[in-house]
Amino acid sequence: MHSSLKNPVNRRETIRSLVGGSMLMPGLLAQLLAEEDPLAAKPTHFPAKAKRVIFIFSNGGVSHMDTFDPKPELFKADGKMTGIGGGLSNQQRVLLKPGWEFRPGGKCGTPVSDLFPYLRERMDDVCVIRSMKGDDNEHYNATLGIHCGSFFFSRPSIGSWVSFGLGTVNANLPSFVVLSAGSPYAGTQIFNNDFLPAYHQGVRVIPGKEPVANLSRRSSGHLQELELGLADALNKQHLAMRSGDSNLAARIRSFETAFHMQTEASDVFSLDKESDATHSLYGMKRGQTDGFGWQCLVARRLIERGVRFVELVDGTSSKNWDQHGDMAEHALHAKNLDQPVAGLLADLKQRGLLDDTLVVWTTEFGRTPGVDGTKGRGHHSACFSSWLAGAGVKGGITYGATDELGATVAENKVHVHDFHATILHLLGMDHTRLTYRHGGRDYRLTDVHGAVVKGILT
Amino acid sequence: MVHLIFLSLLVFAVSASAADATFFRGVNLNGPALTIDGNAWSAGTEAKVEGKTFENQKVPLKPATDEARAQMIRSSAWGDKVDIEFSAVPDGPYQIAVYVWEDNNNERFNVLVNGKTVVEDFDSGTAGYWKRLGLFPTRADRGKIVVSARAGSHGAANLSGVEIWSGEGAIPSLATAQFAGEPTSEQLEFFEKRIRPVLADNCYECHSAGAKKIKGGLVLDSRAGVRKGGDTGPAIAPGDTDASLLIQAVRHKSEDTAMPPKMKLPPEVIADLEKWVKMGAPDPRSTDTVAVVQAKSAIDWTKASEWWSLKPLSQPAPPPVQNTGWPTSELDRFLLARMEAAGLPPAADADANVLIRRVTFDLTGLPPTHEEVDAFVDKRESYAQLVDRLLASPAYGERWGRLWLDVVRYADTAGDNSDFPIPQMHRYRDWVIGAFNRDLPYDQFVREQLAGDLLGGEGDERFQRIIATGYIANARRFGSRVSDYPQHLTIEDTIDNVGRAFLGLTINCARCHDHKFDPITAQDYYALYGIFKSTRYPWPGIELEQRQRDLIPLVATEKLAAAETGKKAHEGEQRRLIKALDKLKEGLKSVAEKQPQEDKLKAAEQALADHEKTRPKIDTAYGVSEGAKREDAALQTKGDPAKPGERVKRRFLTVLGGAEVNSQESGRRELANWITAKENPLAARVIVNRIWQGHFGTGLVPTPNDFGKQGRKPSHPELLDWLASRFIEDGWSIKKLHRHILLSHVYRISGIRTDDALLKDPANELLSAFPRKRLDAESIRDTLLTLGNSLDRSPAGPHPFPPENKWKFTQHNPFKEVYESNRRSVYLMTQRIQRHPFLSIFDGADPSTSTPSRLTSTTPLQALYLLNSPLVHEQSQRFATRITASASDDRTRISNAYMLALSRPAKSEETDAAVRFLAEVPDAERWNALARVIFRLNEFIYLD
Repeated sequence: MHSSLKNPVNRRETIRSLVGGSMLMPGLLAQLLAEEDPLAAKPTHFPAKAKRVIFIFSNGGVSHMDTFDPKPELFKADGKMTGIGGGLSNQQRVLLKPGWEFRPGGKCGTPVSDLFPYLRERMDDVCVIRSMKGDDNEHYNATLGIHCGSFFFSRPSIGSWVSFGLGTVNANLPSFVVLSAGSPYAGTQIFNNDFLPAYHQGVRVIPGKEPVANLSRRSSGHLQELELGLADALNKQHLAMRSGDSNLAARIRSFETAFHMQTEASDVFSLDKESDATHSLYGMKRGQTDGFGWQCLVARRLIERGVRFVELVDGTSSKNWDQHGDMAEHALHAKNLDQPVAGLLADLKQRGLLDDTLVVWTTEFGRTPGVDGTKGRGHHSACFSSWLAGAGVKGGITYGATDELGATVAENKVHVHDFHATILHLLGMDHTRLTYRHGGRDYRLTDVHGAVVKGILT
Repeated sequence: MVHLIFLSLLVFAVSASAADATFFRGVNLNGPALTIDGNAWSAGTEAKVEGKTFENQKVPLKPATDEARAQMIRSSAWGDKVDIEFSAVPDGPYQIAVYVWEDNNNERFNVLVNGKTVVEDFDSGTAGYWKRLGLFPTRADRGKIVVSARAGSHGAANLSGVEIWSGEGAIPSLATAQFAGEPTSEQLEFFEKRIRPVLADNCYECHSAGAKKIKGGLVLDSRAGVRKGGDTGPAIAPGDTDASLLIQAVRHKSEDTAMPPKMKLPPEVIADLEKWVKMGAPDPRSTDTVAVVQAKSAIDWTKASEWWSLKPLSQPAPPPVQNTGWPTSELDRFLLARMEAAGLPPAADADANVLIRRVTFDLTGLPPTHEEVDAFVDKRESYAQLVDRLLASPAYGERWGRLWLDVVRYADTAGDNSDFPIPQMHRYRDWVIGAFNRDLPYDQFVREQLAGDLLGGEGDERFQRIIATGYIANARRFGSRVSDYPQHLTIEDTIDNVGRAFLGLTINCARCHDHKFDPITAQDYYALYGIFKSTRYPWPGIELEQRQRDLIPLVATEKLAAAETGKKAHEGEQRRLIKALDKLKEGLKSVAEKQPQEDKLKAAEQALADHEKTRPKIDTAYGVSEGAKREDAALQTKGDPAKPGERVKRRFLTVLGGAEVNSQESGRRELANWITAKENPLAARVIVNRIWQGHFGTGLVPTPNDFGKQGRKPSHPELLDWLASRFIEDGWSIKKLHRHILLSHVYRISGIRTDDALLKDPANELLSAFPRKRLDAESIRDTLLTLGNSLDRSPAGPHPFPPENKWKFTQHNPFKEVYESNRRSVYLMTQRIQRHPFLSIFDGADPSTSTPSRLTSTTPLQALYLLNSPLVHEQSQRFATRITASASDDRTRISNAYMLALSRPAKSEETDAAVRFLAEVPDAERWNALARVIFRLNEFIYLD
């Protein structure tokens, strides 16, 4: 290594010598370089309870009556009566009893099935919504809906809206990060910025050794610094003659950010400094670079560094909670999710992060009370369960109810639009005022719908 | 006074309409004869009923209703397939109402009258919910009327009763029939004391004829207003508080509809309102304020056509200028006059290196070669020659065709939940590129895309026109299922794009209600809807029907019959061979001596494989053709296909003349002619603006897809009209338009702005300097490949999609591929629902909706791509090899690198800096590193 390039001061000197001392910056130039970042933190509409979100999405359709919505009548009616069943909630089929017992969790006693023994213990921090409702019984459309508020057309993802609405507090990391091992239903549309500016795109992190594309250097750090130094100097010279152009200045800055991202983002994914206790809290082995535990722990590290919206995708479009044939397979997916998510909640709480972090868990729809296949359940958007925990949310409660068989919402319906309005509200934003002008009209995450679910707010 | 006359005229107009319909027959399915609304209904046995019978008189009905009706509703015919046939019906027009109800769990079904779906996927609601659907106009068909129900997305139908009215006139409504009696004096007193003041104090501000702006289309200052209600339906259901929207609103049931919005009424006031509804909402206010609302909200067409973009094209004379020596074309005078008025002189001329770089990228999306730069700088090639050479190069169509593909949201896949590939789609892409290259007149370009299949032509010309209709066929597909395929969404996507692409109008905003800002009614929307509903779209395959159908064979008409016979014969033989094979396989299970059987099996498999090789290949186009039925469509209330309203004659937008379809065709041919008619000022203005935007980065109208009130007005309206008029005079030639623009002086000035200009015109709207442009995603990639000598310029054909007989795409395993290629980026396979990784990073077009102009964001992900991506590293290495081979001394090499990448020689201080840089870098990496530095320069991707 060239000794003169070891530290930044010397780097600057070398670069200065490279371009022959033409580095004097006029005032306007300096001002441009310091100009406001499009991702700079923005004021909220009203004081926010939550500063950031971890959004956990379980793909495939998690059965509500087997997880968070106990239905004693369904146990009794098993095989004796018919109700809505079949693949798309379109047939009258024999009712199928839930496959797991429910037990009270935490001090509050919110019942959770034996699928989630770890999570059950965290119920004092969790508000379960048992009256969720969507508009479509297909995975693709329901997945699009729960992310973008539109069941057919591609629209900006909720993460992009949050990034757009709030900006970020760490310019060296993206504001919206998605940790997803495989491709979920509806593909990348569900974390796309769509018509919002590209800064608000969800940056996909794929668990594994190289989690973000183009993040690892292809040449030595020293050489890269040298290259960037020359490009930087030449770009500033170029800018000096075009001093009105903030785009050019922004692009100069983007290389600086990218340069730091290589280090900072890599640091986020490196779990070496996490204690053994933390590893085991998330159900992880040391050195592990994938799995849901890894996703959860990295999520905590991302939000600690100021990322606004972290989405964790559980399952892919081909391997997920979609148990048409045999509900028993739910156990496999629950096991994958249970300890890591419970660990995440516990860890956030012990670090005081749960006070201003909102944790959301949802799926695209629930499942039918009637059977599908021989021992499975079909898609059911008429009702399902989701939960919220942390900042601004009443812990230890359940909200809304389905009828005695879990076939339809019986009280306090929370439509997907209401769910979105509530999440934005917790972040200090009025869902009717978070708008973006596109193609001649103002768009909202909630379209023309949505009402904040006040009953779950602290 | 004027008002009164106007009102009385309206009243007269209403009462003069056709005679009221008369009650013809009512049938209580699975129940006895009874009297409803004063009409005698017959027992269910009076009609021929196919379906199961069901009755449960215990279910409480929502909303509650009178006893006879309730009894009728609670007995029904039900099933997946219910048919009710009335015979011996005299010829003539009828109107049908169908009573449906839900006894337990919510179900969905379709209702049909004489085989035509009148309600699609009706949601039956929760237990007890009932509804009177209709009225559906129909005619007796050979003495019969058949009312049917078919299972929809889930469940079965419960039909309770059918009511038939004879004639086309008005029908007494349910509500009025129920509370038909005159209000008593006690009721009227209650109204005057307890209701009228409440409505006046709390509601009239937004809901009366006198309101400044009537909200939600609702007025509460008359009986008619309350009964008719607003956009969401009647304000009250007489007798039923829960079902009354007004009561729901004052109860603050949902935040969306809570009224008054800021303050909940006291409980005793709400109780009064409830009491009033329960007594049938007696209301003496007889002035019909609804008419006032309608008159107020109706579009004033004369005023509407005064909006700038809808006015006829003017032929403005170029204005006088002081600096008469400056303009090189009349076009310049429009711009210079504005600059002079603002006291801003135009910038100096761009130097030759900047100009050739600018115009070459502009027309071809590629950098000029070293030799091309030299020839232009040395004046061996004049500027006019340069422009003509570029316009004639095939690369021109590849760049400008791409801009059109942006507008029409081109994709190589269908966009359904499994994103089925469309192997034929590339033919349309190539047609667009070819159309630009051969300068197909724009009016013909439009006609062929909308109606090419109807335009005839000889041989390949006919095929090319069919391929052009790929424009319509490429509309987005949805969902996974076939049975309830949401064709209305595909049509919506078509209309949305037709409006934006050809007219700069957001017509789709009128799908649910009249356009809020522009003079486009919901009727206008459904007038166009009928045209596309009468059009057959090809079927790309979908999860539950995975094979293509309804594509257009590209076979000469006289050979078509033979080709189809050959295809059918081949398929027949294939079925026979498969059957034989299956039989052998089946037999094999039960035969003890397997060897001879297995040989036979092998032979049969071979025969099938051989036969597959002889499959007659018929080229097809993914285009549209005329639908089997070509008819007007019904308006969909609030955009809901389950709520059909009046039929709307197929026609053009009212504000653009409203000409009607008068042929037996779908109306696409007429639509294309209406759009390209000289009287339509929008077509030329919109395309001229797009071409201008292509050259200057921003259009004269900065919102190229929206020339309506929500868009922005032109910065230079006279120039826009002057260009548009010239364009039409020039035979709609796009290449001539390019020449006008490129040979202007303003296109050739420098991009360097003075402080004075920055101060006086920060957005550079006056174009006193050339607006700096960032290369688009395609140009960035193509330039990297060009510099690395890697770009494959051979014409692209189809994409390497898997063969159709292997398609098993589902929403679980959707089609998802990125086909690597070194061809120009316009030829990259574009998926509707997955964005190409490179194009998405650098703001490529949105493949799911029209992209009128590319964003140019600056993100760290772009910087990371230029830092670490394999493509950048590979191409920089290849570029380095080129540079080192180009000369033996470093200073010449550096200058060559600048020339190739930046179209100019390096300045001496830049060469010095590069030399010092090279000295710091390990030998093996020297030129690669310098190449990477150059690739990351702002000058590399920003054009001055």
